Amino acid sequence: MRTTHPTAPPAPGRRAFLAGGLAALGLGLAGCGPADTVLSGRRRLRQWNLFTGGDGARMVQMHEDYRREHPDIDFEPATFLWGNPFYTKFAMGAAGGRAFDIATLHVSRIRGMGAGTLIDPVPTDLLAEHGITRDTVLANVWDKCTVDGELYAIPLDTHLVVTYYNREVCERAGVLQADGTLTPTSGEDAFFDVLAAVREVTGQYGIAMDTTQPWRQFWSLYRQLGGEMTFDGDLVMDDDKALRSLDFLRRVSAEGLAPKASDAPGTPANFQNGICGLMWAGNWEIATFADAGMDFGMRPFPDVYGAELGQGDSHCFVLPHRRAPDDAAVAAAVEYAAWMLKHSITWAGGGHTPAYLPVTRGDDYAALEPQSEYRHAAADVQFDPEAWFSGSAAPLQNEANAVMSGVHNGSVTPETALELFKAAARKLLDTPEPV
Amino acid sequence: MSPSTATGRAAGAPAAAPAPRPARPARPGRRRASLAGLWFVLPFAALFAVFLVWPMLAGLWTSFTDRSLASPGADFVGLANWREMLGDSAVWQSLWTTLVFTAISTPPLVAIALAMALLTNRAAAGLGWFLRLSYFAPFLLPVAVVALIWEWMYQPGFGMVNGLLTAAGLAEVAWLTDQNTVLAAIAITTVWWTVGFNFLLYLAALQGIPSYVYEAAALDGAGPWQRFTRITLPLLRRTTGLIVLLQIVASLKLFDQAYIMTNGSGGPGYAARPAIGYIFEAGFTGLRVGYASAISYLLFAVIVAVSLVQFRLFSRKGETA
Amino acid sequence: MSAATRTPRPPRTAPTGPPPAAARPRRLPRPTPGGVLAAVLGVFLAVVWLMPLVWAVLTSLKPEAETTAVPLRWLPLEPTFAAYQAVIERGDLQRWLLNSVVVSVLVTALTLVVCVLAAYAFSKTEFPGRAWLFALFVAGILVPPQALIVPLFDQMSVLGMVDTYWGVALPQVVAPVMVFILKRFFDAIPRDYEEAARLDGAGHLRVLWSVVVPMSGPVLAAVGIFTFVQAWNNFLWPFVATADPALMTVPVGLGTVQGSYGIQYAQEMAAAVLGALPLVAVFLLFQRHVVRGVTDAGLK
Repeated sequence: MRTTHPTAPPAPGRRAFLAGGLAALGLGLAGCGPADTVLSGRRRLRQWNLFTGGDGARMVQMHEDYRREHPDIDFEPATFLWGNPFYTKFAMGAAGGRAFDIATLHVSRIRGMGAGTLIDPVPTDLLAEHGITRDTVLANVWDKCTVDGELYAIPLDTHLVVTYYNREVCERAGVLQADGTLTPTSGEDAFFDVLAAVREVTGQYGIAMDTTQPWRQFWSLYRQLGGEMTFDGDLVMDDDKALRSLDFLRRVSAEGLAPKASDAPGTPANFQNGICGLMWAGNWEIATFADAGMDFGMRPFPDVYGAELGQGDSHCFVLPHRRAPDDAAVAAAVEYAAWMLKHSITWAGGGHTPAYLPVTRGDDYAALEPQSEYRHAAADVQFDPEAWFSGSAAPLQNEANAVMSGVHNGSVTPETALELFKAAARKLLDTPEPV
Repeated sequence: MSPSTATGRAAGAPAAAPAPRPARPARPGRRRASLAGLWFVLPFAALFAVFLVWPMLAGLWTSFTDRSLASPGADFVGLANWREMLGDSAVWQSLWTTLVFTAISTPPLVAIALAMALLTNRAAAGLGWFLRLSYFAPFLLPVAVVALIWEWMYQPGFGMVNGLLTAAGLAEVAWLTDQNTVLAAIAITTVWWTVGFNFLLYLAALQGIPSYVYEAAALDGAGPWQRFTRITLPLLRRTTGLIVLLQIVASLKLFDQAYIMTNGSGGPGYAARPAIGYIFEAGFTGLRVGYASAISYLLFAVIVAVSLVQFRLFSRKGETA
Repeated sequence: MSAATRTPRPPRTAPTGPPPAAARPRRLPRPTPGGVLAAVLGVFLAVVWLMPLVWAVLTSLKPEAETTAVPLRWLPLEPTFAAYQAVIERGDLQRWLLNSVVVSVLVTALTLVVCVLAAYAFSKTEFPGRAWLFALFVAGILVPPQALIVPLFDQMSVLGMVDTYWGVALPQVVAPVMVFILKRFFDAIPRDYEEAARLDGAGHLRVLWSVVVPMSGPVLAAVGIFTFVQAWNNFLWPFVATADPALMTVPVGLGTVQGSYGIQYAQEMAAAVLGALPLVAVFLLFQRHVVRGVTDAGLK
């Protein structure tokens, strides 16, 4: 069984030749762009986005239409995993200066992602030629896209965390109104009663929520209590209100009304497979369940502590900083963004509320179901606190998610979580601003 | 070692056959120093300089600046980054995470590899290819594939691992979402993924032990266990030393699977953010290239120190053996 | 690493030792209790090790709705290739495979050329600074490139090499350990050959190409295969060096770019299976070579 192979050196045969050929091919291609677009003569337009949820399907649908209307453009969208992976790639791609032509971004991240360094200003005159001005989009979001008087982003929508309900389950649980919509509740106890009733039906849980990203739930509850958070020199926040919000998260899992562990892909799966009758999640999951043919409805984030307020943000398009100026590419990118805004009725189908007013004022939009059930909440979306390290998937959210996810599974008490969060937030405050 | 020396001889062997030239009594001097060799070294040396030496030196300089990914240029800030690093609990947590991972992943990666090699070596010859394939195949998978498969298997509710646990009447474990289990879950995945490499090294070494050694021992009345502890293990000592060295250094460089399996979040409570994960996050997600460079040197020093210590230990063992 | 400098101990002196087993008539292995136990345990372990792969393949054959069903089932109720079809239609994977081929071939070819040249110079020639330079390269073995990603990326972005094939490939070519392995092998080639060729008027390049390289088949194969597998599966550097999905390799693409349809496990598993296939196929075809290549180079 010994294998001390006395091998002769293999003759450089066919395989070596093949390898040599491939190497030559590689060398030839290496200098140029990606292997399969070298020969294309059309204008290349590379779009980056972070839509991995059901909204991604809508974007794909819009892109198909866009392609059909723009045969001269070689359009290449790319979807990255939401959160750190996307934003990291965004920064690195923009720093490299050649990776993409236009990207989606959260409005809350424009400052933190380097407006003016990694992100170039949007030529407003060019945008106006396509009919996009401060007068035709939500003015408050437009202003959030403006830094030091320069427009750095083109707003596409606003979005927020809402309640999804499985109509069949909720009907059996007796929590629906006569018209088939979820009965609105007011106060903590009333909501817990609903969850208990739903659990009776599913036999497992009442509601699904992403326990690995509790910030959305936390900020919604905290804002309902009237909590503020500011970072002017020092972190100022209301500990009592924060503890009350965190204790809600602890209680909902501890009492078995929500899973102790449910991650981003697992949460919609748990709603779809009927383990839970309700779900708190962003409005973007709508298409996932609509496509699956589920009978479901949507409500604003419930009034637990006084108002139906939900955490949210706004998606926008930005132009990355370019190593070498390319006016034609910028023009194509701006044209693309304007096209997307004008056709955002399709986008609305994915759950987000379009920022382009002619769309939201139209009849098509008014007829959309179940968007109409939570539309009014979108106007009062609760943005994250203002700081360069705050915003969707920014360090503050990451820190919050990392320490607060333990509250759900009971490994951390709300008091400890709050202390850890405050320490982390103060550390961020002490960090030199990199932009 | 054994296979490479074996093949080394094998290739050298034909050289010995066609009549070794009588050694010339006086070599025409030592090889004359010429510049030809320098030309041959040049391509490698150039790449070495540009992609290894230069980033090392430039990175050291960067660590004394506030260089940011978001803006050109940088200002000298002296030791600010280094001071901040020493007081940054996240740095120490990530280093600790790396060390814990190394400590919990290395023993199984060595022990299971050895077990696999012994079994393969012992099992009927017909089974050999099947066992080799089964144990080694995961090593050939790209890390993203490994991570996708295991993320999916670890899912609570509908994943395979928890499915097996519940089928066996055990409680579900929230593998990747519980800060107490996430690192262990990643270690299990890593063992599954990379043990095949160590297995091959062990197998090659085992197959280098001639059977007469065992036969002699069997004649002397040594039982299987004695043969294992008295012959196999001592003869494998150097291979084991090498595997442990390679493994520890590889584990200290943990990043890929931890990053992908936690979706770049570092896991709950950052329990699965290793040192390279924090460097990556500080530099690329947090845009602070200067600060990340400083941490790079800390990790760099740890890895080099561990390698050197190991190397010393392992060479000394080799000498005294 | 230090094998060459140490006197081989008895078991390793096979060529000069007592007549090896092969010299005796080959005994047919009789099934002993120990052998049977080893086979049973070995197969059990193999099943455990294969299970995740089987699970991935089975999942990839399920319709999407079945993948998250509770309680879970192993076999698909309605097997379908829909997930594969969707992955292939998306087209990303094919592009990443092509990129992986380009990058891995580039890295392997360059590594072989550059390292063979350097190893030859260190082994067979004399030049000023030789010992000093060799020491520097050996020290380079200790440098963990993974720890240097941030400075390296910064430098590449200054050089404008981010998001190019060269930017992905070149840093991977710097493998001082390969120079070390090759040099040790070249050292074992008797000097007489090279000197005979030199006397015949051959230059160094000629000696290298027609004397040293033909005698170094196994080590070149080992270095080549090992480098190729490493390059094919490398994640960290290509991940850092490419942001443009059109330039990503398989591990990076699968690890970062997502299908825009929500998480679809069947499709993810189909992509995983397809992404793993090429190297597994190569392994099945050339099992012996790959095993030897990996062990030879791995054992440094």
